[in-house]
Amino acid sequence: MAAMLELLLLAAVVVLIVAALKQRWQRDALQRQLDAATEELQRLQQACARLAPAGVVNRLVADGVQELGQMPPQRQDVTALFADLVGYTAMSEQLDAAVLARVLNGYFQCMSDAIHEHGGHVSTFLGDGILAYFGALRPNPWQSADAVRAALAMRAAMADYNRELAQEGLPALQVGIGIHRGNGLVGLIGSRERMEYGFVGRTVNLAARVQALTRTHGVDILVTEAVRHELDDSFRLDAMPAEHVKGIAEPVVSHAVREHSALPTTATPMD
Amino acid sequence: MTSALAHVAWEPCFAEARQDRELEAYARRRMGLPNPAVRYFAAVPWVARTAIDLHAEYGLLMHLDERTADLIGIVVSQENCCRFCFAAVRAVLWFQGMDRQRVQRVEQEVTRTDLPPPVRAALDYARSQTRTGPSGAHAAWGALRAAGVSAAEAREIAFAAALLDWGNRLHTAMAIPPAPMERAPESLPVRMMRPLIERMVRRSRSRGSAAAPAQAPPDTPYAGLVAAFGASPIGPALARAFDAMWASTVLSRRCKLLMFGVISRGLPCQLCELEISRALQKEALDAATTTRLLAHLDGPELDPVERLLMGYARETLWYQPAILQRHTRALRDRLSTEQLVEAVGVAALANAVCRMAAVVMAEPAG
Repeated sequence: MAAMLELLLLAAVVVLIVAALKQRWQRDALQRQLDAATEELQRLQQACARLAPAGVVNRLVADGVQELGQMPPQRQDVTALFADLVGYTAMSEQLDAAVLARVLNGYFQCMSDAIHEHGGHVSTFLGDGILAYFGALRPNPWQSADAVRAALAMRAAMADYNRELAQEGLPALQVGIGIHRGNGLVGLIGSRERMEYGFVGRTVNLAARVQALTRTHGVDILVTEAVRHELDDSFRLDAMPAEHVKGIAEPVVSHAVREHSALPTTATPMD
Repeated sequence: MTSALAHVAWEPCFAEARQDRELEAYARRRMGLPNPAVRYFAAVPWVARTAIDLHAEYGLLMHLDERTADLIGIVVSQENCCRFCFAAVRAVLWFQGMDRQRVQRVEQEVTRTDLPPPVRAALDYARSQTRTGPSGAHAAWGALRAAGVSAAEAREIAFAAALLDWGNRLHTAMAIPPAPMERAPESLPVRMMRPLIERMVRRSRSRGSAAAPAQAPPDTPYAGLVAAFGASPIGPALARAFDAMWASTVLSRRCKLLMFGVISRGLPCQLCELEISRALQKEALDAATTTRLLAHLDGPELDPVERLLMGYARETLWYQPAILQRHTRALRDRLSTEQLVEAVGVAALANAVCRMAAVVMAEPAG
C-alpha cells in the first residue's frame, strides 16, 4: 500500500514537473513570438519610412491609425516647394528605360537629401516632379527661409549631379522650383482604404503654377510675394513681372532667388 | 540585452572626460553610484551639477510613482532616440533586480493599450510634450486630468518628461558614449557586483517631501514656472539650476536668453517668448529688435557667438541624433570646450523648460 502511495506521489510530482516545464516552454515560446513580432514591427516601421515621412510613420505607430473623424486634419501655415525637371519628356525618349530610371532615382535622391537637410519633407513624387512641405509635420516659424535654402541646396546638388552625368556622357538635367506659403488643411486625408499625410489647399496649386513660371522668366527658382515677405536681406531676390496663371484670377508676382549671403559666423574660441 | 536603439548612429564624444574628484564624489553621494557621464560636462560646473541634481528619482517626486516615472523615462528616451539615456534607464531597471526579459517586457509595456488609464494618459502626455511641444501638451494635459490625475501629479509628469528632454539632448548632442551603459548588464564584474549595486541604487532613490517654495524675484525669467510648483521640491531644484546657469559667464546672459528665445519661438511657447523678450529688454534689445532677430535668427546686432548659437539652438528643437551631432561637431570647431558644453547645456535646458512651462504655469499650485 505504502509503495503504491509512493508511486502515486512520484507520478503526481512527475506530472507537476512536466506541467510546469510545459507551461514554461509555452511562456518562452510566446515571449519569442512577441519579440519576433516587435522586431518585425520595427522592420516594417523602417520600411514604411521610405513610403511616408518618418515622423508620420512614428506618429501612426505610436498613436495607432484611428478613425478619420478622431484625427481631423488641422488648418495651418505651410510652405510648399514644387520642383519639376525641364525637358524631361524629350530626355525620356532618348534614353534607355534602365538608364532613365537610374538617372531619375539619382535625381530624386539628391533633391530629397537637400530638402530633408533643411527641415522639409518630400510628400510625393509626381512623375518627374517633387512636392515637398516645410512646417507641415511640426511647427516651424522659419519654414519659408528653410524652403528657399533647400531650393538653393537643390540648385547646388543639381550642378554636382550634372557633373556626374557628364562623365557618363549623359545629358544634363535642369530643374525649375516654385515656392509658396499659405494656409491649408494638414493631416491624414483619404478614404478608409487608403490615406495619405498631405496638405490640401490653394498653396500647393500656386507653388506648382509658380514653378511653371520659371520657364517663362528663364530662371530656376521663383518664390511668391508671401514667401519674400518672410525673408531677410541676406537673400538676394529679383522681382519678376506679374503673370496670369491658370486658376488664379489676379496676376501672380514672383521673385527669382539669386543667392543667399549669410553673415559670417566664425566665433572666436575663448581659450 | 539588445537595445531597441542600437541602430541609432552615434559619433565619438565631442568633449574629453575631465577628472574632477569633487564632482564625482558629489555624484556618488547623490546617486549612490559613480556617474560615467558627468566628467564630460566637468568643464562647466553648472551643467555637470544640474545633470546630477535634476533626476526624478532623487527626492523630487512627491506624487508620481517610481514605476510610471521609469516608463516615462523609456518613452521619452525612445522618442528622442537617446542611446545613452535609454541604456541608462534600462541599466537602472536591471540594477534594481529585473532580469533581462523583465526589462524587455517593461519596454513593451509602454505600447500596451490595456494599461491603467492614468498611466496610459501619463505616457501619452510625456510623448506629446516631447514630440509636439506645448501645442500637443495642452491637449494631452486635458486627457491627463480627465483620467483622474491630480494637478500636482500632472505637474510632476510634465517635469519628469521635461527632465528627459533635458538629459536626452545633453547626452545626445555631446555624443556621450553609450556603449559602457549598454554593455553593463553583460559585463562579468558588473554582474558580480549587481546585488551591491542594487542596494546602492535603491538606497539613493528617495521620495520628495514638501519644501519651502523657492523665492525667485518675480522679474527673473521663469520665476512663474518655479512658483507654479508650489511646495514641491521641484521648484527649488529648478531655481538652483536657473541661478547657476545665469550666473555662469562662459556665454553672455544675452546669448543664453537669445537661445531660450529661439526655442520659445520654435515650439512655439508664447508665454516663454514674452518672458524672454522682457528679459532681453534689460540687455538693451528692444521688443522689435528681438522679434526681428528671432524671425530671422540673424541680424547686425549679434556677435559671432550669438549668431552661431541661435542657429544651433534651433537645431535642438526637433532632431535626429546624427544631424544634431553633426551640428555639434561644427560648433566644436568654432568654440572652446567650455563654450560648447555651456551651449549644449543651455539649449537642453531651454527645450525642457519651454516644453513644460506653458501647461505647468496654466494650472499652478494653489
